[in-house]
Amino acid sequence: MEYKIAEIEAAFNGQVLQKTGESDYTIKINDKQHTLKILKMNTRGIEFVLDSHVHTVKYLDAGTAQMKMVVDGTPFTVNMHHSLNEIVFKNSGGGDSGDAQTALHSQIPGKVVSVNVSEGDSVKKGDVVCVLESMKMQVSIKSHKDGTVKKIKVKPTASVAKNDILAEIE
Amino acid sequence: MHTDKIEKFLEKQKTALASGGQDKIVSQHEKGKLTARERIHLLLDEGSFTEIDALTTHHYYEYDMQKKKFFTDGVITGYGTINGRQVFVFAYDFTVLGGTLSQMGAKKITKLMDHAVRTGCPIIGIADSGGARIQEGILSLDGFADIFYHNELASGVVPQITASIGPSAGGAVYSPAMTDFVIMVEKAGTMYVTGPEVVKTVLGEEVSFEDLGGAMTHGTKSGVAHFVAKNEYDCFDKIKTLLSYIPSNNTEEAPHVATDDDPNRMDHNLINKIPENSLQPYDMKEILLSVVDNNQLFEVHELFAQNVIVGFARMNGRTVGIVANQPMYLAGALDIDSSNKASRFIRYCDAFNIPIITFVDTPGYMPGTNQEHNGIIRHGSKLLYAYCEATVPKITLVIGKAYGGAYIAMGSKNLRTDINYAWPTAQIAVLGSEAAVKIMNKKDLDNAKNPDELKKQLTAEFNEKFANPYVAASNGSVDSVIDPAQTRPMLIKALEMLANKRDKQLPRKHGNINL
Amino acid sequence: MIKKVLIANRGEIALRVIRTCKALGLKTVAVYSDEDYNSLHVKKADEAYHIGKAAPKESYLNQEKILDAILKSGSDAIHPGYGFLSENSDFAQLCEDNKINFIGPSAASMDLCGDKMRCKEAMFKAKVPTVPGSPDLVKDVNEALDIANEIGYPVLLKSVYGGGGRGIRLVNSDKELKEAYETVTGESIAAFGKSAILVEKFLEKIRHIEYQMARDKHGNAVHIFERECSIQRRNQKLIEQTPSPAVDQKTRDRIGELVVKAAEAVDYTNLGTAEFLRADNGDFYFIEINARLQVEHPITELVSGLDLVKLQLDIANGEPLPFKQKDLHMNGYAIECRINAEDTFLDFAPSTGPVPDVTIPSGPGVRCDTYLYPGCTVSPFYDSLMAKLVTWGQTFEESRIRMLNALNDFYIQGVETSIPLYKTILKTEEYKKGNLSTDFLKRYGIIDKLTADIKEDQKQKQDAAIAGAIMHSEFFRSKVKSSNTPSHRWKSHMDRR
Repeated sequence: MEYKIAEIEAAFNGQVLQKTGESDYTIKINDKQHTLKILKMNTRGIEFVLDSHVHTVKYLDAGTAQMKMVVDGTPFTVNMHHSLNEIVFKNSGGGDSGDAQTALHSQIPGKVVSVNVSEGDSVKKGDVVCVLESMKMQVSIKSHKDGTVKKIKVKPTASVAKNDILAEIE
Repeated sequence: MHTDKIEKFLEKQKTALASGGQDKIVSQHEKGKLTARERIHLLLDEGSFTEIDALTTHHYYEYDMQKKKFFTDGVITGYGTINGRQVFVFAYDFTVLGGTLSQMGAKKITKLMDHAVRTGCPIIGIADSGGARIQEGILSLDGFADIFYHNELASGVVPQITASIGPSAGGAVYSPAMTDFVIMVEKAGTMYVTGPEVVKTVLGEEVSFEDLGGAMTHGTKSGVAHFVAKNEYDCFDKIKTLLSYIPSNNTEEAPHVATDDDPNRMDHNLINKIPENSLQPYDMKEILLSVVDNNQLFEVHELFAQNVIVGFARMNGRTVGIVANQPMYLAGALDIDSSNKASRFIRYCDAFNIPIITFVDTPGYMPGTNQEHNGIIRHGSKLLYAYCEATVPKITLVIGKAYGGAYIAMGSKNLRTDINYAWPTAQIAVLGSEAAVKIMNKKDLDNAKNPDELKKQLTAEFNEKFANPYVAASNGSVDSVIDPAQTRPMLIKALEMLANKRDKQLPRKHGNINL
Repeated sequence: MIKKVLIANRGEIALRVIRTCKALGLKTVAVYSDEDYNSLHVKKADEAYHIGKAAPKESYLNQEKILDAILKSGSDAIHPGYGFLSENSDFAQLCEDNKINFIGPSAASMDLCGDKMRCKEAMFKAKVPTVPGSPDLVKDVNEALDIANEIGYPVLLKSVYGGGGRGIRLVNSDKELKEAYETVTGESIAAFGKSAILVEKFLEKIRHIEYQMARDKHGNAVHIFERECSIQRRNQKLIEQTPSPAVDQKTRDRIGELVVKAAEAVDYTNLGTAEFLRADNGDFYFIEINARLQVEHPITELVSGLDLVKLQLDIANGEPLPFKQKDLHMNGYAIECRINAEDTFLDFAPSTGPVPDVTIPSGPGVRCDTYLYPGCTVSPFYDSLMAKLVTWGQTFEESRIRMLNALNDFYIQGVETSIPLYKTILKTEEYKKGNLSTDFLKRYGIIDKLTADIKEDQKQKQDAAIAGAIMHSEFFRSKVKSSNTPSHRWKSHMDRR
């Protein structure tokens, strides 16, 4: 199967060649073969010996096209089927969010202190749409593009989680 | 040996895999849509797909159809696993004759559905079809009918999920409508009974495909779509997540997912989420997220009838169905759409052994001619019926207001709810204090010297006497008033107590739920 | 003699104060809000009192509730930690009025120090040099604009009642000043309950150097060396160290004398810190006195051998300083990294939530003051400081290497942390050479370096990552065998045909 590590833009071809024992495998990554022995495994993570090094991988999220994991303490985003990306994202504007064009996501969790625009206002990229408070800091959330505020999805005192949609800007 | 026979077989296989031909595949991709086989491979575990009926073709000859024979005849069927669980999947292949349904296609699908029902595994259909194959005429329509019949046979036996990643028009939309869950992909899936051209011809109304029957329309307005996916990856992710919450068939329980979230976890902050002023709205989701395992709630119909929240969550590893009023929309009042949304969800949970937990904070039903003329009476009764009919463990927690008919409808005790809890902030009464005083003390108010002051006093008295959970608690309509901080542990204990609940209804063919 | 101390604070500093009190045989009383039911400081104290809801103004900033706890518990002293009410002179006065020993300066002295304008005046009289800026509080945003244009951009918009980096914003233009004015006012009110704004000239390539000062109730005053806190972001300190690479013994003594003068000028008692800006040409400007124990006090403790909280208690008990200036000597080098719950790549946006697992580093010369434990929660209601990682070495290099190793050993699961950022900073040539300034992050493109470091790290681990991904699908394939045995319930449904 094809894999791509998003952060370093490196593509790989990886597969299991053979199961050689109860928890032993021979796998192939690109053109190299490796031996792998599973020490411990469940849906949340795996501890294994790859060739002669021990590694710990924690699975944070595993979707159809993307896996988020922590490998020996370092976070990784591994994309699968990336050759299909162009087709899948054609109508949805690319990347993680199909509605990336209109939705303004919150980068942080917090409480809405104020909403600084109204529906129908025209905004420029960088204009403050709302202000969130978290950890005693006030963070201004700015518009990601020029456009008109189509919908505001939060009100003051609402709590938002990371990635929640705050507003839609057309 | 037999090399020529082997070669012939491999040749046929290769042709079958090429679907409608390379140029059709390219055209499908250009529209931003994956092919049927690509979708199946994304949905199922790597390498787990076994196709059946790959070498079927149609046997029609009108309109020179014998010249347009393709293997698979427009629908790919087979089985595989999703996260290790066996499922059956069929996907319309738009590259073959526009994915139109033929007699053979229907035969394939119904054969697959039979397998699923016999082995007790979920059925997932991926819709991307031009509809009936007009050339086959009635045969195609009969094919659809056969599929619908099988949808009914499977309904309540195995979960049926439809992914709408392309058109479904005319009669074809009814199969998805009969399935348990419909996921539509934005800007790809469309569903409508009559298309925009006919609408324009007959009514002169101009409307785009997306507006008439796109994902957002069905996700927010009509409620046909239970989930709206941003793109195909998201669609398959949602299906996998949904499956993780539900059992494979109606004799099993949903998969148990061990959690680190302490079943005795208390949340002393929970009570602070309710504003002092009971007229102020708050987000019910905050409370739900705190109570369930790992803050995870998989909402169904998230954008439709937002005055009620329904969805799956886990409590100490066990799947539960959540039904909750949402005070942020329409003050949490019940109406036609929310009654429909909640009833269908409750009946699904009941069919598949999923306990139901109801969180109540509702001032009543939405008034007005719109609601009355559109039959709030009929639709509202569905909610009552669904609660009564359900024999899975039912637990209700009254958090805030629970007035009148809405109090009854939201899982009240005598609908045979097993456990009823209430917070000290609950106000279980026949009416809100203001309304009650106006009616009950009309004479006194009319004769009063200072009606406003008397009204204030009477309202306060009413509140003191009735706007609390204690009257209900004193006669057993509420089993316990609980400390909000203990909500999670109390709910989990109740669930464990009810785990082996067995209840039955009197034998009859089926009831007559008001539809 | 103080017998029972109530610690009016939370998190790591509450724990740290409790530790010293316990070592001295004093009874300890903790206070906690709804969010802190399960906090370590509550568990470690002898008694604990619940004082209110999560929001600081309902609990840790609520003077009545805290006074109530003091009286109920029969404490005779209160340690305010840092932040919250530690520099609130009204509260200090309230304690004095109720005959409770407030471990810090007098309310009057604290008031003077907290009022940046009057403090500046006092320094002026004592001939301690200060930074150019607005002569008084600005009445409104327009006055701020006038002064900013007078002394020239860039300027700092500072809340008089700020501190800890809050209520300070750097602005480069009229537009930015107008935007920032609202935010600074808001932050100041949220954190300290009051707001009043100053405008100050922003100097380029400055180093933030502060001195620990101590003065007893008998008028004896000393400085306990300097700390360099130049590596900051948004005016909040990230890394502190002592001694400062820019301070030689002569300068140490010279500025030290000014510090003692400053303490006397405001009649300061107990421990405090005099903050200075050192311009690129070597000039030192007094900024303010922080009338409390600083977050970064551990580095001073490691190079002086003193327990500063103990010193605070002794002074509060009326004892004279047990040493004179000539008795104090610096030994070795110490560095502190503030481990914050922040996402470096999202412009340091806060990261909150449960922390299921944490591994705290230790070893010779390694100290970690933290409230973390496996299963705790980082709350969105309070600031992002989770832990102070401090190392000591005989040489600067030794303390730097120890810090790098300790950062590698520090594992916090569940929230984003600033640990990768510190590793990158500590490895740069500029840091090793001591070329520090308050714009260090920007000047040396640290964020870009961090991104490159992480990529390098990922390249090293890529095979392991792919192996992990491959085994993930393999795991489910191997489960098929077991899940395909039909459930006994399904098959045992014996229906009649």
